[in-house]
Amino acid sequence: MPLPEFEFHEPATVDEACRMIGELGEKTKILAGGTDLLVNMKKKLLAPEHLVSLDRIQSLAQLDSSNGSLRIGPCVKAAEMAESDVVISDFPALQEGASKLGSPLIRNLATVGGNLVTARPAADFPPSLIAYGATLVLKSNHGERTVPLTEFIQAPGETVLSPDEMLKAIVLEKPSPLSGSAYIKLGVREALEISLLNVAALLTLDESGGTITAARVVMGSVAPTPLLSPSAEKVLLGETPSDVLFLDAGEAAASDSRPIDDFRASAEYKRAMVRELTRRALTLAFDRIQTQ
Amino acid sequence: MSDKDSKRGGITRRSFITTMGAGVAGVAASGALFSGTSQAKAPEIHKAGEAMRITLTINDHPYVLLVEPRWTLLHVLREVIGLTGTKEGCGRGECGACTVLIDDIPRYACMTLAVEAQGHAVTTVEGLMHGEDLGVVQQAFVQKDAFQCGYCTSGQIMASEGLLRANPLPSSEEIRRGVSGNLCRCGAYTHIFEAVEAAAEMKQK
Repeated sequence: MPLPEFEFHEPATVDEACRMIGELGEKTKILAGGTDLLVNMKKKLLAPEHLVSLDRIQSLAQLDSSNGSLRIGPCVKAAEMAESDVVISDFPALQEGASKLGSPLIRNLATVGGNLVTARPAADFPPSLIAYGATLVLKSNHGERTVPLTEFIQAPGETVLSPDEMLKAIVLEKPSPLSGSAYIKLGVREALEISLLNVAALLTLDESGGTITAARVVMGSVAPTPLLSPSAEKVLLGETPSDVLFLDAGEAAASDSRPIDDFRASAEYKRAMVRELTRRALTLAFDRIQTQ
Repeated sequence: MSDKDSKRGGITRRSFITTMGAGVAGVAASGALFSGTSQAKAPEIHKAGEAMRITLTINDHPYVLLVEPRWTLLHVLREVIGLTGTKEGCGRGECGACTVLIDDIPRYACMTLAVEAQGHAVTTVEGLMHGEDLGVVQQAFVQKDAFQCGYCTSGQIMASEGLLRANPLPSSEEIRRGVSGNLCRCGAYTHIFEAVEAAAEMKQK
């Protein structure tokens, strides 16, 4: 299956890449993995005149952890996220998303940055990243700006990135001690699956381990963009973890969700699954605090 | 000028930017054939529809090739070099028939641009042979009858080879996950899992 013609650019540095996308204009696409972009080009849905590959920019493919924060280069591959020691120990919900994304072969190609910039409602990285409070560093010729991930994704396939801007880094703070997190993806099969829906949860307890001091429930594929549930947070904050509480939080999350009927499932089913997956994700997150 | 140098050279990249800044974007691969000994700069811009010269290392053998930027590694392997062991199935990163190893990691050749494979070691199913003898994973697939029509088999073998290079003694769960990006329409999965197990044992000896 042939690709349409394009001019191909391989910048060696972020500055070069920014200059290129600034000068080449709107018919330019950034290639970072290509599991969506190249497929859409093969299907003739997209025909960019220029492709700017980030493959040769080593700084964008690095995972740096220092002083309790994690800086993810946008070209870090899903497979690397799934196998990284720091991700496994400090950001287990991200590891779970990474290891469920597509197939091993997709994970060897697909990048974290690509998963965010394509802004698909069912994507595996955004819910966990939002739960961990990720911020994105965006760069253009004119400078840099920092945007929380919750504001970055605007609509399916739409982000706040302007045409001359690129994603430079994803930054996360390590959750405080006595925190636990989890990500659960629901599909109809175990591999090569798009999320029917997904839920990421983060819980933080106070020093005595009795009361919830921070809570986030983020749902994917039940709204045009990944959705942080304010109602679930309200239910959980200041309370003592219990099965009943997590069930209530599930109800609250379901009431915030806005699923639609589509070929994957009915809205009613998805809402019921938000309830259940939220309960399970919170239970798993709480178990992880206790086994720390 | 070796293509490796042109690809790695920071100077040529900087000179490209200078060129871009001057508003001359078309220096590109100046024609399809720049001479092998020329010191001419090869900026990292490859014009649409024009062939550029690259060197790919495939099965430890360097191939100097003229390719268009839009050509996938799969296209170059099959149609330019004639290594037809790698198959095209879906052509869009779903079925895994085109799996090759790039620096020992299994990748869809249909989703990898040939130009991006420069500087990496590509291994195809032909590269697992020892002369006329089958490689270990290939032998195991024959022994365990791990195929029916055989179309997905080279991809399955390459995914298995990649798995075993990273993880010489995988559990059965790891094997199932390892080949989960490779579809077999005939449903030979049970035998494929057995073949990978057998190959792991054979490699230990």
